Amino acid sequence: MKSRILALLGGTLLSASAMAGGYQVNLASQRQIGMGHTGTGIQTGTSSIFFNPGAMSYLQENGVTIGASALFSKIAYSAPESNEVTARTDNPVGTPFQVYAVYKINDKLAAGLGVYTPFGSTAKWGQEWSGRFGLEELSLSAIYFQPTLSYAITDKIGIGAGLTYVKGQVNLQRGIPVQDEAGNYGRAELDGDGTSVGYNLGIYIKPSEKLSLGINYRSRVDVDVEEGDATFTVAPSLKSRFPDTKFAATLPLPATLSVGLGFMPTEALTLAVDVSRVEWSAYESLRFDYADAINGSNFSENDRNYEDAYIYRIGAEYKATEALALRAGAYYDGSPVQDGYLTPETPDSDSRGLSVGLGYSVSNNIKLDASFLYINKKERTDASDKSGGIAGTYKAVAYIPGLALTYNF
Amino acid sequence: MKNLFYKTGTLALFAGALLASCEPDIDTPSSSAGTADFSTYIAVGNSLTAGYADGGLYRSGQLNSYPAILAEQFAKVGGGEFKQPLFTEAQKNGSGYLSFKGFDASGLPILEPVTTELAVRGMGLDGKTPLYTAYEEPVNNLGVPGIRMVDAKTAGYGFNNPAGFNPFYERLIGDDLTPSGALLPYVNYVDATNPTFFTMWLGNNDVLGFATSGGVAPISDADKFQENLDAMINALVGDSEAEGVVINIPDVTGVPFFTTKATANLMQMAAAAGTKLYITAANGQVREAAATDYVLLTSTVGTPEQVGPQTVPHGFSPYNPLKNNEVLDGEEVTAAQNAIATFNGKLKAAADANNLAFVDMNAFFNSVKMKDNMPQLTLNNVAYTPAFITGNLFSLDGVHLTPRGYAIVANEIIRNINAKYGASIPAVDETKYNAVLFPGLQ
Repeated sequence: MKSRILALLGGTLLSASAMAGGYQVNLASQRQIGMGHTGTGIQTGTSSIFFNPGAMSYLQENGVTIGASALFSKIAYSAPESNEVTARTDNPVGTPFQVYAVYKINDKLAAGLGVYTPFGSTAKWGQEWSGRFGLEELSLSAIYFQPTLSYAITDKIGIGAGLTYVKGQVNLQRGIPVQDEAGNYGRAELDGDGTSVGYNLGIYIKPSEKLSLGINYRSRVDVDVEEGDATFTVAPSLKSRFPDTKFAATLPLPATLSVGLGFMPTEALTLAVDVSRVEWSAYESLRFDYADAINGSNFSENDRNYEDAYIYRIGAEYKATEALALRAGAYYDGSPVQDGYLTPETPDSDSRGLSVGLGYSVSNNIKLDASFLYINKKERTDASDKSGGIAGTYKAVAYIPGLALTYNF
Repeated sequence: MKNLFYKTGTLALFAGALLASCEPDIDTPSSSAGTADFSTYIAVGNSLTAGYADGGLYRSGQLNSYPAILAEQFAKVGGGEFKQPLFTEAQKNGSGYLSFKGFDASGLPILEPVTTELAVRGMGLDGKTPLYTAYEEPVNNLGVPGIRMVDAKTAGYGFNNPAGFNPFYERLIGDDLTPSGALLPYVNYVDATNPTFFTMWLGNNDVLGFATSGGVAPISDADKFQENLDAMINALVGDSEAEGVVINIPDVTGVPFFTTKATANLMQMAAAAGTKLYITAANGQVREAAATDYVLLTSTVGTPEQVGPQTVPHGFSPYNPLKNNEVLDGEEVTAAQNAIATFNGKLKAAADANNLAFVDMNAFFNSVKMKDNMPQLTLNNVAYTPAFITGNLFSLDGVHLTPRGYAIVANEIIRNINAKYGASIPAVDETKYNAVLFPGLQ
C-alpha cells in the first residue's frame, strides 16, 4: 500500500531536468571575438588550431597565446500571468579561456596544441523561484585539449587536423516537490564528469592576395558520465525511496561545420564572414540512469529534440597603425530549441551578438588583444510542456569582456 | 608592458562590470482591476472558504485560505484590508486537525489528531459540539465549515442549543439571544457586510453530507436550495450591485475521500484471498461490491475481524460486509451526481441572471483526474492529481485542499475574474504554498 501510495509521488518528480540548451560557448579567441567570432576563412594566428587547422601552417612564426573572457550572463524570468519579472538568475562569472601554442616544424608543416572551452553553461536560479523543481542550479563545462598538425600543400592550399580529448563536467541541482515536516522541499544533486575524444579538420584556401576561404569541421563528442554521484535530501520517511546512488548520463557536444570567407581589399582591412551549422539534432533527450531505483524508477528521461541550427557571422579588422588594430563584428545565432522544449537550464532563443575589439603590438613579438561582446537573446515565451521545462517568459543578455596575450618567437 | 596589460585589463573588467549591472527586462502586462472594485471583498462559503484542511480548522489553514490568497492579489489592484476570524497564535490549532505521523506496518499513513493549543472554550448544550473561541468583530472571510446552502436562512443556526448548532458560525455571532445576535440567520449576517466584490462557494455540503455519510444523511431539497440561493445572491449583490463570483460544486468521484480505497483494487485483493468484497446497500441488502461503488476513506475495510470462529478481513465475507455508511454505492453516486448537476444548474443561472463571474470548479476538478494513468495537470514541473497524499491538491482528510490546492483554486478563480471583468490580476506562485508535509523517521 505504501508503495502504491508513493508510486504516485510527484509523478514527474525526476523526469525533468538537465544540461543546457544551446550550451555552446563561442569564445575561442580574443581577436576573433572582436570580429564577430569569424575565422574559418582567414588566418587567425595561433587560434587557427580552433577555427581552421588548415590555416595554421601559414603562420610565420612560432607563437603562444593565452586568453580568457569574463562572462557576465543574466536571465530574467516572468511566470505566466504574473505581470512581473518573478525571478532572475544569480549566475557566477564564467571564465571561458584559451591557450594555443604553435610550433613551425618547417615551412610547410606546423604542430600545435590548443586548450579551449567551446561548451559550457551556468545557470543559478536559486531555491526560491517557482521553477525550482525544474532547476535550481546548473554548471556544465567541457575542456578540449587538441594536438594539431597542419600542412601547406601549396602556398594556396593548406590542410590541418587535430585530435580532441575532451573532459566534461556537470553539476545539476534542483528541488524535489515533496516536503518535510517543516515544509522544506527535497533536493537532488547530480554531479559527475567524463571524458571523450573527437577531431577537428580544416581546409584553407587562398586563391589570391585579396581572397581566402576555409572549411572547418569539429566532430560531435559524446561525453559519457559513468559514475556520477546522485544525492537526495528528502523527509526521512521518504529517504528509502530516494537513496543516494550513482548515475550515468551522456552529454552530446554537437558537431559544427563552418564555412568562411575572407576579403582583404587593402593591406589594412580584413573582412570576414562565416556560416556555421551546429548539429544540435544530436541532442534528442536527456537521460539519467540510476544504479538504484529513485522513487520507483531506474531512469529518468526528458525529450530535448533539438534542431540543427545555423550561425551567421560577419567581422572586420582595420589596422589603424602598424601597432593598433580595431575590430568589430556581429552575428546571429539561431536557437536549436523548438517550441515546447524551452528549459531553464539555458532558456535559449535566437540570439544576436555585437562585438568590438582591439589588438596592440607592444613589441615585435608581444601582442595584446582585447574584446568585448554583447549578446542579446530574444525574449521568448514558451509553454515548456514537452521537456519538463518551466513555462514562462525568458530574456537573457550577456556581457563578455576578454583579454589575450600572444608571444611570437 | 605589464602596465598596459594591467590598464587594459582593468578597463575591460570595469566596462564589463558596469554593463553587467544592466539587467535584462521583460515587458509584462500591468495589473489592473478592470471594471471590478475590490475595495471591500467578502468571501462567503463553507469549510473550503474558511481554509479548513486536514480534518480541522486551524490558524495556518486559515492563513492559506483561498479567499486570503485572493485578497492578497486583489490588494495589488486596489483591494482593501481582508480580515479573517483567525484563531490566535496561542490557540493556533483551532478545532484540532490530523497530523501525518508516518506509515504503519501495512504502509498506510498514520494520521494522529492534534490535541494541544486548541481554541476549544467548552462544550455546547447538545453535549457533543465543542465551542470555539469567539471572534465577533466584523470579518471579510465569512466561510463557515459545515454550512449548506439550505442553512442560509435558518434562524438559530449558530445558536448554542441542545438540538445542535454550527459551532463555527456560533463563534462569529455571539450568544446574545436576539435576532441580531445568536439567532441571526447566515444570510442576514452576509447582508450586513455590503461588499463591493464577493466570492460565493456554497452548496457543496448540500450533497457532500450525503456522500461522506455513505448516503445516510439526506441531500438538500432542491426548492429550498433555490430559495436560499436567491436570498444569498440578493444579500450579496444588494442595492450597491456588487460584482462577484459564483463557484460551483465539484464532483464527489474526483475526491480522494471516495477514490483512495479504490473499489476495483479492493475487489482484486478479495479475489486474491479467494473471496469477494461485500457491501451493505442503501436498502440494507448485502451484495457483492461493484466497481461503481465507492468505498469511503474512513472505511475500516480489510481490518481483520472475528466472524464466528474465523478471522476475516472486514468486507471480505458476506457475514462481515462493509456497512452502509462505509460505502457510497452506485445508486447513491448517481443520486449525488444528479443533485450536483441540479444545484450547479441553479448556481449558473443565478450567476448569469446577475451578470456575475462563474467558476466551473466541477469542470476544473474533473480536468485534473488521471487519464490513462497520467496526471493531467503539471505546473512548474509538479504533477497534480486527486490522489490522496501524493496528488498535492488534497489534504489529509481527503476532502479539503492543501494550501497548494487552495492556491491553485485561487488562480482558477483569478483567471475567471480576469476574463469576466477585463481585469489583469496576477496569479500566485503556487509553489510557495505547502502540500502534504511528510513526517520524519517512522
